[in-house]
Amino acid sequence: MDVALSRTGAWILRSFFFLVVLFLYAPIVILLIFSFNDSAVPTFPLSGFTFHWYREFLGNAELRSALETSAIIAALSSVGAVVLGILASIALTRRRFRGKAAVSALLLSPLVIPYLVFGISLLLLFHQLGVPRSLLTVVIGHIVISLPYTILVLVPRLDQIDVSLEEAAFDLGASRLRTFRSITLPLILPAVVSALLIAFTTSFDEYAVASFVVGSRVTFPIYLYAAVRFPDQLPQVIAVAVVVLVVSLTVVIAAEVGRRVAERRLGAQ
Amino acid sequence: MAIAARASPASRRRRLRVDLTTPTLLGPPLGWLVVFFLLPITIVAAYSFNVYSFEPGPHGFTLTAWHDFLHSSIYLSLFWKSVKMSLIVSAIIVVLAYPLAYYLALSGTKRKYVLLLLLIAPFLTSYLLRVLAWKVILGNQGVINTFLFWTGIRSPDHPISQLLYSRFAVMLVLGYIWLPFVALPIFVSLESLDRRLLEAASDLGASRLQAFRKVTLPLSLPGVFAAFLFVFIPTLGEFVTPSLVGGTTGYMYGNQIVDLFGTGFPDWETGSVLAIFLLGVVAVLTLVFARFLQPRQVAAD
Repeated sequence: MDVALSRTGAWILRSFFFLVVLFLYAPIVILLIFSFNDSAVPTFPLSGFTFHWYREFLGNAELRSALETSAIIAALSSVGAVVLGILASIALTRRRFRGKAAVSALLLSPLVIPYLVFGISLLLLFHQLGVPRSLLTVVIGHIVISLPYTILVLVPRLDQIDVSLEEAAFDLGASRLRTFRSITLPLILPAVVSALLIAFTTSFDEYAVASFVVGSRVTFPIYLYAAVRFPDQLPQVIAVAVVVLVVSLTVVIAAEVGRRVAERRLGAQ
Repeated sequence: MAIAARASPASRRRRLRVDLTTPTLLGPPLGWLVVFFLLPITIVAAYSFNVYSFEPGPHGFTLTAWHDFLHSSIYLSLFWKSVKMSLIVSAIIVVLAYPLAYYLALSGTKRKYVLLLLLIAPFLTSYLLRVLAWKVILGNQGVINTFLFWTGIRSPDHPISQLLYSRFAVMLVLGYIWLPFVALPIFVSLESLDRRLLEAASDLGASRLQAFRKVTLPLSLPGVFAAFLFVFIPTLGEFVTPSLVGGTTGYMYGNQIVDLFGTGFPDWETGSVLAIFLLGVVAVLTLVFARFLQPRQVAAD
Protein backbone atom coordinates (compact mmCIF):
# COMPACT_ATOMS: atom_id res chain seq x y z
CA MET A 1 0.00 0.00 0.00
CA ASP A 2 1.27 3.44 -0.84
CA VAL A 3 1.38 5.57 2.27
CA ALA A 4 0.96 8.94 0.55
CA LEU A 5 -1.81 8.30 -1.94
CA SER A 6 -4.50 5.76 -2.69
CA ARG A 7 -4.92 4.73 -6.34
CA THR A 8 -8.08 6.78 -6.71
CA GLY A 9 -6.34 9.68 -4.99
CA ALA A 10 -3.43 9.49 -7.41
CA TRP A 11 -5.85 9.38 -10.34
CA ILE A 12 -7.74 12.43 -9.10
CA LEU A 13 -4.55 14.38 -8.49
CA ARG A 14 -3.20 13.47 -11.91
CA SER A 15 -6.38 14.64 -13.61
CA PHE A 16 -6.28 17.85 -11.61
CA PHE A 17 -2.62 18.39 -12.54
CA PHE A 18 -3.33 18.09 -16.25
CA LEU A 19 -6.41 20.30 -15.99
CA VAL A 20 -4.23 23.02 -14.48
CA VAL A 21 -1.59 22.52 -17.16
CA LEU A 22 -4.36 22.90 -19.74
CA PHE A 23 -5.45 26.15 -18.06
CA LEU A 24 -1.86 27.43 -18.07
CA TYR A 25 -1.22 26.68 -21.74
CA ALA A 26 -4.65 27.49 -23.17
CA PRO A 27 -4.10 31.29 -23.37
CA ILE A 28 -0.74 30.72 -25.06
CA VAL A 29 -2.32 28.34 -27.57
CA ILE A 30 -5.13 30.82 -28.24
CA LEU A 31 -2.53 33.50 -29.03
CA LEU A 32 -0.82 31.04 -31.36
CA ILE A 33 -4.07 30.34 -33.23
CA PHE A 34 -5.00 33.99 -33.62
CA SER A 35 -1.53 34.94 -34.83
CA PHE A 36 -2.40 33.02 -38.04
CA ASN A 37 -5.93 34.37 -38.24
CA ASP A 38 -6.76 36.46 -41.29
CA SER A 39 -8.57 39.27 -39.48
CA ALA A 40 -7.59 42.57 -37.92
CA VAL A 41 -9.33 41.70 -34.65
CA PRO A 42 -8.89 38.51 -32.64
CA THR A 43 -12.52 37.33 -32.61
CA PHE A 44 -14.46 34.18 -33.36
CA PRO A 45 -15.20 32.75 -35.86
CA LEU A 46 -11.71 32.29 -37.31
CA SER A 47 -11.64 33.77 -40.78
CA GLY A 48 -8.73 32.14 -42.55
CA PHE A 49 -5.06 31.32 -42.42
CA THR A 50 -2.36 33.94 -43.04
CA PHE A 51 1.29 34.78 -42.44
CA HIS A 52 0.43 38.43 -42.95
CA TRP A 53 1.01 39.50 -39.31
CA TYR A 54 4.39 37.84 -39.18
CA ARG A 55 5.47 39.62 -42.37
CA GLU A 56 4.12 42.86 -40.98
CA PHE A 57 6.13 42.74 -37.78
CA LEU A 58 9.27 41.77 -39.65
CA GLY A 59 8.86 45.01 -41.59
CA ASN A 60 8.14 47.07 -38.48
CA ALA A 61 11.35 49.03 -37.83
CA GLU A 62 10.21 50.40 -34.47
CA LEU A 63 9.48 46.94 -33.18
CA ARG A 64 12.76 45.51 -34.45
CA SER A 65 14.69 48.32 -32.82
CA ALA A 66 12.89 47.68 -29.50
CA LEU A 67 13.83 43.99 -29.69
CA GLU A 68 17.41 44.96 -30.46
CA THR A 69 17.57 47.42 -27.53
CA SER A 70 16.25 44.78 -25.16
CA ALA A 71 18.76 42.23 -26.45
CA ILE A 72 21.66 44.66 -25.85
CA ILE A 73 20.44 45.54 -22.37
CA ALA A 74 19.86 41.88 -21.52
CA ALA A 75 23.32 40.88 -22.78
CA LEU A 76 25.13 43.60 -20.83
CA SER A 77 23.15 43.18 -17.64
CA SER A 78 23.32 39.38 -17.61
CA VAL A 79 27.11 39.40 -17.98
CA GLY A 80 27.38 42.06 -15.27
CA ALA A 81 25.07 40.19 -12.90
CA VAL A 82 26.83 36.87 -13.43
CA VAL A 83 30.30 38.33 -12.83
CA LEU A 84 29.13 39.97 -9.60
CA GLY A 85 27.20 36.81 -8.75
CA ILE A 86 30.26 34.58 -9.15
CA LEU A 87 32.34 36.84 -6.90
CA ALA A 88 29.63 36.93 -4.23
CA SER A 89 28.93 33.19 -4.43
CA ILE A 90 32.59 32.25 -3.99
CA ALA A 91 32.83 34.51 -0.96
CA LEU A 92 29.64 33.01 0.50
CA THR A 93 30.68 29.39 -0.03
CA ARG A 94 34.46 29.45 0.37
CA ARG A 95 35.40 32.23 2.75
CA ARG A 96 34.77 32.87 6.40
CA PHE A 97 34.05 36.44 7.38
CA ARG A 98 32.12 38.31 10.00
CA GLY A 99 28.54 39.28 9.28
CA LYS A 100 28.02 36.61 6.61
CA ALA A 101 24.32 36.31 7.43
CA ALA A 102 23.81 40.04 6.96
CA VAL A 103 25.83 40.06 3.73
CA SER A 104 23.84 37.21 2.22
CA ALA A 105 20.59 38.87 3.31
CA LEU A 106 21.63 42.07 1.54
CA LEU A 107 22.69 40.17 -1.59
CA LEU A 108 19.31 38.42 -1.78
CA SER A 109 17.17 41.39 -0.74
CA PRO A 110 16.43 42.59 -4.30
CA LEU A 111 14.30 39.41 -4.56
CA VAL A 112 11.65 40.80 -2.24
CA ILE A 113 11.66 44.51 -3.03
CA PRO A 114 8.59 45.52 -5.06
CA TYR A 115 10.06 46.40 -8.48
CA LEU A 116 7.83 49.45 -8.55
CA VAL A 117 9.56 50.84 -5.45
CA PHE A 118 12.98 49.97 -6.81
CA GLY A 119 12.23 51.63 -10.16
CA ILE A 120 11.16 54.83 -8.43
CA SER A 121 14.25 54.72 -6.21
CA LEU A 122 16.54 54.49 -9.22
CA LEU A 123 14.64 57.28 -10.96
CA LEU A 124 15.16 59.56 -7.95
CA LEU A 125 18.85 58.55 -7.68
CA PHE A 126 19.55 59.44 -11.31
CA HIS A 127 17.48 62.59 -10.99
CA GLN A 128 19.44 63.62 -7.89
CA LEU A 129 22.79 62.88 -9.53
CA GLY A 130 21.77 64.52 -12.78
CA VAL A 131 22.41 61.33 -14.78
CA PRO A 132 20.36 61.30 -18.00
CA ARG A 133 18.22 58.23 -18.52
CA SER A 134 19.55 55.87 -21.17
CA LEU A 135 20.22 52.29 -22.05
CA LEU A 136 22.87 52.17 -19.32
CA THR A 137 20.53 53.25 -16.53
CA VAL A 138 18.31 50.28 -17.41
CA VAL A 139 21.35 47.97 -17.41
CA ILE A 140 22.30 49.22 -13.93
CA GLY A 141 18.83 48.44 -12.59
CA HIS A 142 18.65 45.03 -14.25
CA ILE A 143 22.00 43.98 -12.79
CA VAL A 144 20.59 44.66 -9.31
CA ILE A 145 17.47 42.56 -9.83
CA SER A 146 19.24 39.68 -11.62
CA LEU A 147 22.10 39.42 -9.11
CA PRO A 148 20.22 37.38 -6.46
CA TYR A 149 18.97 34.93 -9.10
CA THR A 150 22.53 34.25 -10.26
CA ILE A 151 23.61 33.69 -6.64
CA LEU A 152 20.72 31.27 -6.06
CA VAL A 153 21.88 29.22 -9.07
CA LEU A 154 25.63 29.40 -8.38
CA VAL A 155 25.80 28.76 -4.62
CA PRO A 156 24.27 25.24 -4.67
CA ARG A 157 26.64 24.25 -7.49
CA LEU A 158 29.68 25.59 -5.62
CA ASP A 159 28.52 23.64 -2.57
CA GLN A 160 28.47 20.42 -4.59
CA ILE A 161 32.06 20.69 -5.78
CA ASP A 162 34.70 18.83 -3.83
CA VAL A 163 36.72 21.60 -2.14
CA SER A 164 39.78 19.33 -1.99
CA LEU A 165 40.25 19.81 -5.76
CA GLU A 166 40.70 23.54 -5.22
CA GLU A 167 42.92 22.96 -2.20
CA ALA A 168 45.11 20.63 -4.24
CA ALA A 169 45.60 23.25 -6.96
CA PHE A 170 46.37 25.87 -4.34
CA ASP A 171 48.87 23.60 -2.58
CA LEU A 172 50.58 22.94 -5.92
CA GLY A 173 51.31 26.64 -6.21
CA ALA A 174 48.41 28.01 -8.22
CA SER A 175 47.19 31.42 -7.14
CA ARG A 176 43.58 31.77 -6.07
CA LEU A 177 42.77 33.35 -9.40
CA ARG A 178 44.50 30.55 -11.29
CA THR A 179 42.72 27.96 -9.12
CA PHE A 180 39.45 29.62 -10.00
CA ARG A 181 40.20 29.70 -13.73
CA SER A 182 41.52 26.16 -14.03
CA ILE A 183 39.48 24.26 -11.45
CA THR A 184 36.41 26.05 -10.15
CA LEU A 185 35.13 27.78 -13.28
CA PRO A 186 35.08 24.66 -15.49
CA LEU A 187 33.25 22.77 -12.76
CA ILE A 188 30.58 25.42 -12.27
CA LEU A 189 30.24 26.23 -15.98
CA PRO A 190 26.81 24.61 -16.41
CA ALA A 191 25.51 26.72 -13.52
CA VAL A 192 27.17 29.84 -14.97
CA VAL A 193 25.41 29.26 -18.27
CA SER A 194 22.04 28.79 -16.63
CA ALA A 195 22.63 31.88 -14.45
CA LEU A 196 23.38 33.84 -17.64
CA LEU A 197 20.18 32.62 -19.26
CA ILE A 198 18.07 33.41 -16.21
CA ALA A 199 19.56 36.90 -15.96
CA PHE A 200 19.11 37.43 -19.70
CA THR A 201 15.46 36.41 -19.74
CA THR A 202 14.76 38.39 -16.54
CA SER A 203 16.13 41.52 -18.15
CA PHE A 204 14.60 40.92 -21.57
CA ASP A 205 11.14 40.66 -20.02
CA GLU A 206 11.48 43.34 -17.35
CA TYR A 207 8.99 46.19 -17.57
CA ALA A 208 8.46 47.76 -14.12
CA VAL A 209 11.99 49.00 -13.39
CA ALA A 210 12.74 49.82 -17.02
CA SER A 211 9.60 51.93 -17.33
CA PHE A 212 11.03 54.40 -14.81
CA VAL A 213 14.64 54.63 -15.96
CA VAL A 214 14.45 54.03 -19.72
CA GLY A 215 15.71 56.70 -22.08
CA SER A 216 14.50 57.57 -25.55
CA ARG A 217 15.30 54.09 -26.95
CA VAL A 218 12.43 51.94 -25.72
CA THR A 219 12.82 48.31 -24.75
CA PHE A 220 10.65 45.50 -26.07
CA PRO A 221 8.40 45.23 -22.98
CA ILE A 222 7.85 48.99 -23.05
CA TYR A 223 6.99 48.87 -26.75
CA LEU A 224 4.65 45.97 -26.03
CA TYR A 225 2.95 47.77 -23.15
CA ALA A 226 2.24 50.75 -25.38
CA ALA A 227 1.12 48.60 -28.31
CA VAL A 228 -1.32 46.59 -26.20
CA ARG A 229 -3.32 49.79 -25.75
CA PHE A 230 -3.84 50.29 -29.50
CA PRO A 231 -6.16 47.63 -30.95
CA ASP A 232 -4.98 48.10 -34.56
CA GLN A 233 -1.52 46.86 -33.61
CA LEU A 234 -2.90 43.85 -31.76
CA PRO A 235 -2.53 41.13 -34.45
CA GLN A 236 1.09 42.10 -35.10
CA VAL A 237 1.82 42.14 -31.39
CA ILE A 238 0.24 38.72 -31.07
CA ALA A 239 2.53 37.41 -33.82
CA VAL A 240 5.60 38.80 -32.04
CA ALA A 241 4.28 37.43 -28.78
CA VAL A 242 4.09 33.96 -30.25
CA VAL A 243 7.65 34.15 -31.59
CA VAL A 244 9.02 35.41 -28.28
CA LEU A 245 7.04 32.87 -26.26
CA VAL A 246 8.14 29.96 -28.39
CA VAL A 247 11.79 31.08 -28.40
CA SER A 248 11.86 31.66 -24.65
CA LEU A 249 10.10 28.38 -23.88
CA THR A 250 12.58 26.52 -26.08
CA VAL A 251 15.59 28.26 -24.53
CA VAL A 252 14.34 27.66 -20.99
CA ILE A 253 13.65 23.98 -21.56
CA ALA A 254 16.88 23.41 -23.50
CA ALA A 255 18.90 25.18 -20.79
CA GLU A 256 17.36 23.15 -18.01
CA VAL A 257 17.86 19.85 -19.82
CA GLY A 258 21.41 20.85 -20.80
CA ARG A 259 22.30 21.80 -17.24
CA ARG A 260 21.05 18.49 -15.86
CA VAL A 261 22.95 16.48 -18.45
CA ALA A 262 26.15 18.47 -17.98
CA GLU A 263 26.03 18.30 -14.20
CA ARG A 264 25.37 14.59 -14.27
CA ARG A 265 28.43 14.11 -16.46
CA LEU A 266 30.62 16.35 -14.33
CA GLY A 267 29.30 14.59 -11.26
CA ALA A 268 30.13 11.17 -12.67
CA GLN A 269 33.78 11.96 -13.23
CA MET B 1 50.19 34.21 -1.08
CA ALA B 2 53.92 33.75 -0.59
CA ILE B 3 53.98 30.79 -2.97
CA ALA B 4 52.36 32.67 -5.81
CA ALA B 5 54.74 35.59 -5.36
CA ARG B 6 57.83 33.38 -5.46
CA ALA B 7 56.57 31.32 -8.38
CA SER B 8 56.11 34.30 -10.66
CA PRO B 9 59.24 35.49 -12.44
CA ALA B 10 57.59 38.31 -14.36
CA SER B 11 57.55 40.90 -11.63
CA ARG B 12 55.99 43.62 -13.75
CA ARG B 13 53.04 41.45 -14.53
CA ARG B 14 52.72 40.40 -10.93
CA ARG B 15 51.98 43.93 -9.83
CA LEU B 16 48.91 43.93 -12.06
CA ARG B 17 47.70 40.58 -10.81
CA VAL B 18 44.40 40.69 -9.03
CA ASP B 19 44.00 38.03 -6.43
CA LEU B 20 40.71 36.75 -5.13
CA THR B 21 40.93 37.86 -1.54
CA THR B 22 37.69 38.16 0.39
CA PRO B 23 37.52 41.97 -0.03
CA THR B 24 38.09 41.62 -3.81
CA LEU B 25 35.30 39.09 -3.94
CA LEU B 26 32.79 40.99 -1.85
CA GLY B 27 33.70 44.53 -2.83
CA PRO B 28 32.13 44.70 -6.31
CA PRO B 29 28.76 43.03 -5.56
CA LEU B 30 28.28 44.80 -2.23
CA GLY B 31 29.47 48.11 -3.65
CA TRP B 32 27.02 47.77 -6.52
CA LEU B 33 24.12 47.10 -4.15
CA VAL B 34 25.07 49.93 -1.81
CA VAL B 35 25.25 52.50 -4.61
CA PHE B 36 22.41 51.30 -6.83
CA PHE B 37 20.09 49.69 -4.29
CA LEU B 38 20.46 51.00 -0.74
CA LEU B 39 21.36 54.58 -1.65
CA PRO B 40 18.37 55.03 -4.01
CA ILE B 41 15.98 53.75 -1.33
CA THR B 42 17.50 56.20 1.15
CA ILE B 43 16.90 58.99 -1.35
CA VAL B 44 13.22 58.02 -1.63
CA ALA B 45 13.00 58.15 2.16
CA ALA B 46 14.63 61.60 2.05
CA TYR B 47 12.01 62.74 -0.46
CA SER B 48 9.23 61.47 1.80
CA PHE B 49 10.54 63.73 4.59
CA ASN B 50 10.95 66.62 2.15
CA VAL B 51 14.75 66.66 2.73
CA TYR B 52 15.04 66.45 -1.05
CA SER B 53 12.33 67.85 -3.24
CA PHE B 54 11.17 67.89 -6.84
CA GLU B 55 10.40 71.59 -6.48
CA PRO B 56 13.35 73.96 -6.58
CA GLY B 57 13.72 76.37 -3.69
CA PRO B 58 14.17 76.00 0.05
CA HIS B 59 12.80 72.98 1.84
CA GLY B 60 13.57 71.13 5.04
CA PHE B 61 12.68 68.09 7.07
CA THR B 62 8.94 67.78 7.67
CA LEU B 63 6.56 64.98 8.57
CA THR B 64 3.68 66.63 6.71
CA ALA B 65 3.43 64.08 3.93
CA TRP B 66 3.53 61.17 6.38
CA HIS B 67 0.92 62.83 8.58
CA ASP B 68 -1.35 63.44 5.60
CA PHE B 69 -0.89 59.87 4.39
CA LEU B 70 -1.71 58.30 7.74
CA HIS B 71 -4.83 60.44 8.03
CA SER B 72 -6.02 60.04 4.47
CA SER B 73 -8.92 57.70 3.90
CA ILE B 74 -8.18 57.47 0.16
CA TYR B 75 -4.64 56.08 0.27
CA LEU B 76 -5.16 53.78 3.23
CA SER B 77 -8.40 52.31 1.94
CA LEU B 78 -6.76 51.76 -1.43
CA PHE B 79 -3.95 50.00 0.37
CA TRP B 80 -6.41 47.75 2.21
CA LYS B 81 -8.21 46.97 -1.02
CA SER B 82 -4.89 45.90 -2.55
CA VAL B 83 -4.02 43.85 0.54
CA LYS B 84 -7.37 42.08 0.30
CA MET B 85 -7.00 41.38 -3.41
CA SER B 86 -3.46 40.04 -2.94
CA LEU B 87 -4.49 37.93 0.05
CA ILE B 88 -7.37 36.33 -1.86
CA VAL B 89 -5.22 35.63 -4.92
CA SER B 90 -2.35 34.23 -2.84
CA ALA B 91 -4.61 32.05 -0.70
CA ILE B 92 -6.48 30.60 -3.68
CA ILE B 93 -3.41 29.75 -5.69
CA VAL B 94 -1.53 28.27 -2.73
CA VAL B 95 -4.54 25.99 -2.15
CA LEU B 96 -4.59 25.10 -5.86
CA ALA B 97 -0.82 24.58 -6.06
CA TYR B 98 -0.58 22.31 -3.02
CA PRO B 99 -2.19 19.26 -4.67
CA LEU B 100 -0.06 19.85 -7.78
CA ALA B 101 3.12 19.81 -5.72
CA TYR B 102 1.83 16.85 -3.70
CA TYR B 103 1.18 14.88 -6.88
CA LEU B 104 4.65 15.62 -8.26
CA ALA B 105 6.51 14.93 -5.03
CA LEU B 106 4.67 11.98 -3.53
CA SER B 107 2.79 10.04 -6.21
CA GLY B 108 5.96 8.22 -7.22
CA THR B 109 5.66 9.28 -10.86
CA LYS B 110 8.93 8.69 -12.69
CA ARG B 111 8.69 11.81 -14.82
CA LYS B 112 8.31 14.25 -11.98
CA TYR B 113 11.01 16.65 -13.15
CA VAL B 114 9.62 16.69 -16.68
CA LEU B 115 6.16 17.43 -15.29
CA LEU B 116 7.58 20.08 -12.96
CA LEU B 117 9.24 21.79 -15.92
CA LEU B 118 5.96 21.57 -17.85
CA LEU B 119 4.27 23.33 -14.95
CA ILE B 120 6.92 26.02 -14.41
CA ALA B 121 7.72 26.80 -18.07
CA PRO B 122 4.86 29.30 -18.60
CA PHE B 123 6.17 31.30 -15.65
CA LEU B 124 9.51 31.71 -17.39
CA THR B 125 7.96 33.27 -20.48
CA SER B 126 7.10 36.91 -20.90
CA TYR B 127 4.92 38.39 -18.20
CA LEU B 128 3.40 41.08 -20.42
CA LEU B 129 2.56 38.60 -23.14
CA ARG B 130 0.63 36.43 -20.71
CA VAL B 131 -1.34 39.50 -19.62
CA LEU B 132 -1.88 40.33 -23.28
CA ALA B 133 -3.26 36.83 -23.89
CA TRP B 134 -5.96 37.41 -21.27
CA LYS B 135 -6.79 40.79 -22.73
CA VAL B 136 -7.43 39.07 -26.04
CA ILE B 137 -9.52 36.40 -24.32
CA LEU B 138 -11.63 38.50 -21.95
CA GLY B 139 -12.55 41.62 -23.96
CA ASN B 140 -16.07 42.56 -25.06
CA GLN B 141 -14.95 41.64 -28.57
CA GLY B 142 -12.61 39.02 -27.15
CA VAL B 143 -12.35 35.30 -27.63
CA ILE B 144 -14.84 34.26 -24.96
CA ASN B 145 -17.52 36.77 -25.89
CA THR B 146 -17.25 36.34 -29.65
CA PHE B 147 -17.30 32.60 -29.14
CA LEU B 148 -20.55 32.99 -27.21
CA PHE B 149 -22.00 35.23 -29.98
CA TRP B 150 -20.91 32.82 -32.67
CA THR B 151 -22.48 29.82 -30.98
CA GLY B 152 -25.60 31.88 -30.25
CA ILE B 153 -25.40 31.45 -26.48
CA ARG B 154 -25.35 35.22 -26.04
CA SER B 155 -26.48 37.98 -28.35
CA PRO B 156 -23.80 40.38 -29.66
CA ASP B 157 -25.66 43.26 -28.03
CA HIS B 158 -25.08 41.80 -24.58
CA PRO B 159 -21.49 40.70 -24.14
CA ILE B 160 -20.36 39.65 -20.67
CA SER B 161 -18.65 42.96 -20.03
CA GLN B 162 -17.48 42.29 -16.47
CA LEU B 163 -14.81 39.94 -17.80
CA LEU B 164 -12.28 42.62 -18.67
CA TYR B 165 -11.44 45.87 -16.88
CA SER B 166 -12.59 44.66 -13.49
CA ARG B 167 -11.25 43.52 -10.16
CA PHE B 168 -12.10 39.99 -11.24
CA ALA B 169 -9.87 40.30 -14.31
CA VAL B 170 -6.93 41.55 -12.22
CA MET B 171 -7.25 38.69 -9.76
CA LEU B 172 -7.70 36.06 -12.46
CA VAL B 173 -4.64 37.24 -14.39
CA LEU B 174 -2.47 37.57 -11.26
CA GLY B 175 -3.48 34.08 -10.19
CA TYR B 176 -2.74 32.74 -13.66
CA ILE B 177 0.68 34.36 -13.69
CA TRP B 178 1.82 33.22 -10.24
CA LEU B 179 0.27 29.75 -10.00
CA PRO B 180 3.19 27.81 -11.55
CA PHE B 181 5.73 29.63 -9.41
CA VAL B 182 3.85 28.96 -6.17
CA ALA B 183 4.01 25.19 -6.69
CA LEU B 184 7.81 25.26 -6.59
CA PRO B 185 8.58 25.94 -2.89
CA ILE B 186 5.77 23.58 -1.83
CA PHE B 187 7.22 20.89 -4.09
CA VAL B 188 10.68 21.39 -2.58
CA SER B 189 9.41 20.96 0.99
CA LEU B 190 7.33 17.87 0.11
CA GLU B 191 10.19 16.39 -1.88
CA SER B 192 12.51 16.54 1.12
CA LEU B 193 9.94 14.85 3.34
CA ASP B 194 11.21 11.57 4.74
CA ARG B 195 8.74 8.94 3.51
CA ARG B 196 9.63 6.68 6.42
CA LEU B 197 7.71 9.09 8.65
CA LEU B 198 4.58 8.31 6.64
CA GLU B 199 5.31 4.59 6.82
CA ALA B 200 5.74 4.86 10.58
CA ALA B 201 2.44 6.72 10.86
CA SER B 202 0.75 4.04 8.75
CA ASP B 203 2.28 1.21 10.84
CA LEU B 204 0.99 2.88 13.97
CA GLY B 205 -2.50 2.73 12.54
CA ALA B 206 -2.95 6.19 11.07
CA SER B 207 -5.15 6.48 8.02
CA ARG B 208 -3.77 8.38 5.02
CA LEU B 209 -5.81 11.40 5.99
CA GLN B 210 -4.51 11.32 9.56
CA ALA B 211 -0.94 10.88 8.33
CA PHE B 212 -1.44 13.86 6.05
CA ARG B 213 -2.83 16.04 8.83
CA LYS B 214 -0.32 15.03 11.49
CA VAL B 215 2.83 14.51 9.42
CA THR B 216 2.85 15.73 5.83
CA LEU B 217 1.01 19.02 6.22
CA PRO B 218 2.94 20.32 9.28
CA LEU B 219 6.28 19.37 7.68
CA SER B 220 5.40 21.11 4.43
CA LEU B 221 4.27 24.34 6.10
CA PRO B 222 7.61 26.14 5.58
CA GLY B 223 7.16 25.60 1.84
CA VAL B 224 3.58 26.82 2.04
CA PHE B 225 4.61 29.98 3.88
CA ALA B 226 7.43 30.60 1.42
CA ALA B 227 5.03 30.14 -1.49
CA PHE B 228 2.53 32.50 0.05
CA LEU B 229 5.15 35.17 0.66
CA PHE B 230 6.60 34.83 -2.86
CA VAL B 231 3.26 35.63 -4.42
CA PHE B 232 1.82 38.04 -1.86
CA ILE B 233 4.73 40.48 -2.01
CA PRO B 234 4.85 41.04 -5.77
CA THR B 235 1.07 41.15 -6.16
CA LEU B 236 0.75 43.72 -3.38
CA GLY B 237 3.04 46.10 -5.29
CA GLU B 238 1.54 45.22 -8.66
CA PHE B 239 0.70 47.95 -11.15
CA VAL B 240 1.19 46.48 -14.62
CA THR B 241 -1.65 43.95 -14.61
CA PRO B 242 -4.23 46.31 -13.06
CA SER B 243 -3.32 49.06 -15.51
CA LEU B 244 -3.82 46.67 -18.46
CA VAL B 245 -6.88 44.69 -17.39
CA GLY B 246 -8.16 46.43 -14.24
CA GLY B 247 -10.05 49.46 -15.45
CA THR B 248 -11.23 51.69 -12.59
CA THR B 249 -12.46 48.97 -10.21
CA GLY B 250 -9.20 47.06 -10.51
CA TYR B 251 -7.04 50.11 -9.70
CA MET B 252 -4.48 49.15 -7.04
CA TYR B 253 -2.14 50.86 -4.59
CA GLY B 254 0.75 50.39 -7.03
CA ASN B 255 -1.12 52.33 -9.73
CA GLN B 256 -1.58 55.19 -7.29
CA ILE B 257 2.18 55.32 -6.69
CA VAL B 258 2.88 55.31 -10.42
CA ASP B 259 0.38 58.11 -10.96
CA LEU B 260 2.01 60.23 -8.25
CA PHE B 261 5.29 59.94 -10.14
CA GLY B 262 3.59 60.26 -13.52
CA THR B 263 3.45 63.11 -15.93
CA GLY B 264 0.01 64.44 -14.99
CA PHE B 265 0.27 66.00 -11.53
CA PRO B 266 3.48 64.67 -10.07
CA ASP B 267 3.75 64.70 -6.30
CA TRP B 268 7.03 63.02 -5.51
CA GLU B 269 6.80 63.68 -1.79
CA THR B 270 3.48 61.85 -1.35
CA GLY B 271 4.57 59.21 -3.86
CA SER B 272 7.71 58.57 -1.82
CA VAL B 273 5.65 58.17 1.35
CA LEU B 274 3.45 55.59 -0.37
CA ALA B 275 6.49 53.76 -1.75
CA ILE B 276 8.35 53.67 1.58
CA PHE B 277 5.19 52.52 3.37
CA LEU B 278 4.82 49.62 0.91
CA LEU B 279 8.50 48.77 1.33
CA GLY B 280 8.12 48.82 5.12
CA VAL B 281 5.14 46.45 5.03
CA VAL B 282 7.03 44.08 2.73
CA ALA B 283 10.15 44.21 4.93
CA VAL B 284 8.16 43.40 8.07
CA LEU B 285 6.38 40.52 6.33
CA THR B 286 9.67 39.13 5.07
CA LEU B 287 11.24 39.26 8.54
CA VAL B 288 8.22 37.69 10.24
CA PHE B 289 7.93 34.93 7.65
CA ALA B 290 11.69 34.33 7.58
CA ARG B 291 11.37 33.26 11.20
CA PHE B 292 8.54 30.92 10.22
CA LEU B 293 10.63 29.42 7.48
CA GLN B 294 12.95 27.64 9.94
CA PRO B 295 12.01 24.02 9.23
CA ARG B 296 13.20 22.72 12.62
CA GLN B 297 10.84 24.95 14.52
CA VAL B 298 7.86 23.65 12.63
CA ALA B 299 8.95 20.05 13.07
CA ALA B 300 9.30 20.54 16.81
CA ASP B 301 5.75 21.79 17.27
